[in-house]
Amino acid sequence: MSEENSEMKHAEQAPEALVQTKRSFSIIWVVPIIALLIGGWLTFKAMSEKGPVITITFETAEGLEAGKTMIKFKDVEVGKVTDIALNDDRSSVVVSAEMSTDSKPYLTDKTQFWVVRATVAAGKVSGLGTLLSGAYIGVNPSTEGEKTEHFTGLEKPPLVTAGMPGRHFILQSKELGSLDRGSPVYYRGIKVGQAVDYDFNHDRDGVDIKIFIEAPFHEKVLENSRFWNASGIDMTMDATGIKLDTQSLVSIMLGGMAFDLRQHDPPGKQAEKDHHFRLYPDQAGSKEETYDVKRYFVMYFDQSVRGLSPGAPVEIKGIPVGEVVSVKLQFDQNKLDFQIPVLIVLEPERLDALVTESGEAVEGVAKNEELERDTHHSYTLEVRSKKLIEKGFRAQLKTGNLLTGQLYIDLDFYPDAPPAKLEKVDGYTVFPTISAPLEQIVQRVDNIIKKVEQVPFDRIGQELQVAVTELAETLQELKGISGKVNDESIPKVNASLDQFQETMKGIESTLGPDSALSYNTRQVMGELALAIRSVKSLLEYLERDPQALILGKEGDKK
Amino acid sequence: MKPIRSSALQLGLVSCHDCHLLSRRPKTLGHGAAHCPRCGGELHQRKSNSIARTWALVLAAMVFYIPANVLPMTITSAVGTVSADTIMSGVIYFMQHGSWEIALVIFTASVFVPFLKFIILIYLLLSVQFKWVKQPKNLTRLYRFTEAVGRWSMLDIYVVTILVALVKLGFLANIEAGPAALYFALVVVTTMIAAESFDPRLIWDVVEKKHE
Repeated sequence: MSEENSEMKHAEQAPEALVQTKRSFSIIWVVPIIALLIGGWLTFKAMSEKGPVITITFETAEGLEAGKTMIKFKDVEVGKVTDIALNDDRSSVVVSAEMSTDSKPYLTDKTQFWVVRATVAAGKVSGLGTLLSGAYIGVNPSTEGEKTEHFTGLEKPPLVTAGMPGRHFILQSKELGSLDRGSPVYYRGIKVGQAVDYDFNHDRDGVDIKIFIEAPFHEKVLENSRFWNASGIDMTMDATGIKLDTQSLVSIMLGGMAFDLRQHDPPGKQAEKDHHFRLYPDQAGSKEETYDVKRYFVMYFDQSVRGLSPGAPVEIKGIPVGEVVSVKLQFDQNKLDFQIPVLIVLEPERLDALVTESGEAVEGVAKNEELERDTHHSYTLEVRSKKLIEKGFRAQLKTGNLLTGQLYIDLDFYPDAPPAKLEKVDGYTVFPTISAPLEQIVQRVDNIIKKVEQVPFDRIGQELQVAVTELAETLQELKGISGKVNDESIPKVNASLDQFQETMKGIESTLGPDSALSYNTRQVMGELALAIRSVKSLLEYLERDPQALILGKEGDKK
Repeated sequence: MKPIRSSALQLGLVSCHDCHLLSRRPKTLGHGAAHCPRCGGELHQRKSNSIARTWALVLAAMVFYIPANVLPMTITSAVGTVSADTIMSGVIYFMQHGSWEIALVIFTASVFVPFLKFIILIYLLLSVQFKWVKQPKNLTRLYRFTEAVGRWSMLDIYVVTILVALVKLGFLANIEAGPAALYFALVVVTTMIAAESFDPRLIWDVVEKKHE
């Protein structure tokens, strides 16, 4: 035992081995690692999904709410309003919005934003859904244009959104009239599009109206289509009665446009995008020919041009070929005389159209007008014009309307007209004129009227009054005389009449049917008739056989 | 200095987690593990790897705490208007609309308490690790508070769950749980497990070691 104990003691003296706990990796640390991974993934997701932040300026934030208002395209959410603030000078509202990441390419300066609210307007009710859900911001994305992150919101939603099939065109008009954004465009009574926008065109001093024609009707817009303003009611009154014409009730209220080909025009090519068209004020106007080439002439008339106003027609044989542009008065200081230069415009294309119809004479003019553009042909022009003038081609003032005294200028041949030359004054060719015969008549009638005016109706009237008074006196006297006649003369007259009756009876007995004179007369008349008859037969016989006068009756010879 | 009563650890005794039978700790364990002679449950002198576990869970909970507060808790849609609310925006909403009591409850249960638990647990862990124990009783009180208050953080999750179940009026009104609900639940669960895995006896171990 002691050995064992001593051994134990020895063993106890040996140093004790160190016990080290194995520091192994605890499985629990997976939990924070997973948490970190999830956190990291969430952060990455949030960062990567964070779309571009844009600002949109609106006039009012009515109906918009930060954190709630969506930005939608085709009712799909593409962004969300994150903040609404006033701008620095408090004039408008700056709306910050976070867009979805895939919307980046569409954030260009052509992209439009607007607030969709419930609107009720003539012909259109829209956005009723927003009454419950609140307003949202609509977007019309466009990849064209420069990238930007600051937008100005539209106050009114655009009428045509991207991706709508169709085509834009531009109508040029003198004035906007009753048209507005949204005014319908009709094609044969079908609404095929609408006015999208309008703007003043400074170059042309008119209004450009941008319209959008929906597919498939945009194919109906040809290069030679005519657009006209179909606003309101077109009322025409003629011999057949009153005619009302309108495209639709909506166009009465909102205004509208219509287009079509003219009946005789062959269909042209399809019009390209943004093709410019002229907008005619009415349908009738759209059917007229249009002439682009214009030639100006000056005419001097040595008579009153009262009734000749700008716009008055210039006609050849009743067909309008131009119109009066201006009528002025000039004072010639040397001659101490007044001159009236009348500036007219001729549309040679109208004359061109007349070439086939009116023959060579007009053709000459037409060609002249055409050639005038080309200095190379000026010689021919002069020669032709000279020839025409030599032939007596003159302008004359004529009365278009006897009631109103409206004048027009008539071009025609007057072979007896005094010879004239073509001159140029202030760059305008002077067209020779002759005075109107009617004008002369009018002058004479004028003179007559003047003479009539000189008749002293006043004095005549006074004298007439005196005469009438005298007449009355005379009549009074006459009355007195007749009274005397009644009293004194009538018994005598009666006696005379009795005597007259007796005389007549005497005559009757002499001339009556039973009287001797009458009988004798009848007898004589009978014999006279017989004598005439035999003379007649004698004459007839002589006519047949004139030789009987000499040779006697044939029957006698035998 | 007041003599300290000997602890089970000093006497070489170990208490069963499940049936609380005191048994003697075997001198050597080798590769085996000590088991309760009565119920067969595994015996540990102290909760194994307590500090590391608690640390890991606390850190995980703190990571989950961020998305729980940043992401929306509820997604409310009322007549077409969809709005997503985080915990804080909900608190602010209630405060602005005068219901500051509700705001206070939500703030306490969902924001303040979880945050307080982090602070307490970290403080306890640091105290044990760096032996800063001055008032071990107070530390134990803090630990008890953490354990007791932990489950109440689930209040927010309950509210959301009930709302989601109740408000299903289709287009008129609809509430859905947001992604934050999941993370918030994870925060609550991980902090509860963290509090559970912390062994308060470690506090006293520190005190005893100081007196040896």
